Amino acid sequence: MKDFRVWDPLLRVFHWSVVVLFTANALFTDPDEGLHRWIGYAIAALVALRVAWGLVGPRRARFSDFLPRPGAVLAQLSDIATGRRRVHLGHTPLGALMILNLLVTLAAICATGWMMGTDAFWGVEWVEEAHEALVTWAELSVVAHVAAVIWESVRTGVNLPRAMVTGRKSVPEDAMIVE
Amino acid sequence: MRPARTRNPAALMALILAQVACAGFFAWDVTRDGIALAPLWPPDWHFAAEAAAVLGLIAAVVFESRALMRLLTRNAHLERQASLAAGALADLIETHFRDWGLTRSETDVAWFTVKGCSIAEIATLRGSAEGTVKSHLNAIYRKAGVAGRGELLSLLIEDMLSPPSAAAGAADAPAALPDPGASPAGGRAV
Repeated sequence: MKDFRVWDPLLRVFHWSVVVLFTANALFTDPDEGLHRWIGYAIAALVALRVAWGLVGPRRARFSDFLPRPGAVLAQLSDIATGRRRVHLGHTPLGALMILNLLVTLAAICATGWMMGTDAFWGVEWVEEAHEALVTWAELSVVAHVAAVIWESVRTGVNLPRAMVTGRKSVPEDAMIVE
Repeated sequence: MRPARTRNPAALMALILAQVACAGFFAWDVTRDGIALAPLWPPDWHFAAEAAAVLGLIAAVVFESRALMRLLTRNAHLERQASLAAGALADLIETHFRDWGLTRSETDVAWFTVKGCSIAEIATLRGSAEGTVKSHLNAIYRKAGVAGRGELLSLLIEDMLSPPSAAAGAADAPAALPDPGASPAGGRAV
């Protein structure tokens, strides 16, 4: 096994904070209470921080490192189709698509949630429906994300959940590494 | 001649994504209807038709995903698609690999072998250990019923040498030629 430092502490704290806060608001808090709103503000701040970190953070955290090109997405799918085991040190192209999806969805959930409390959109039906539909979409995305992480860990032999905890990817000796 | 197929994975992927979205939406809708209609007795024919349509849509997504995987495999194995003949030969070889029931990884290894890569090279290209490649090769030879790389190649090349059709073969080919029906791809006109 070869170890590579890939995820910086801020990125990991962001990831697990969003996990805890999103789970809390999606499943446990009462939407009519203040706690639900405060958690929403916290998620909005975290998303904003992540976007800023994507511009000025360390290499692996930057959007420029992982914004997926169509060719790279096809290459990863081809690896799956042919059973080739090539490891990405940063985010994989398909993983990057999921990250973008989740960031945009979370931002939209925060925006619609905030709108529901403003004078202009108070009691407006479509805002509330959009908020709920976006949450459903986010929940489906989370399920897909977790399933894909497990699948990719098994396929490539790199324990991805552990890497998000320790910040290090342990890559098997014989695996081929692509950027 | 084969029917024309979509060669663009991106178009197929877009179609799959659109259908996944539709299938997801209708599956959710039908599930809600099902809960509202519980316990679904006596049978509601409108609901049954909707549920069948959703299942059909999901089946279509599964088949398209498999087609996409095959297309990606094919493209991965055909780096140069310049010549029509190369494409036709690739189709022929691919048919053999499918008939033998090779797995994805075995198919990949078989292609590299046919192209003349060594075990070490294949291991590097696929990002796996040499031992893994060797066990893939053993499985390939076993499934193809051959003893080694030489026999595998001659089995595949045999198709190119067999006469285009039985009638043409009977007219002017020497009697020593084997009956095309006996070859593994006998039924297939090249």
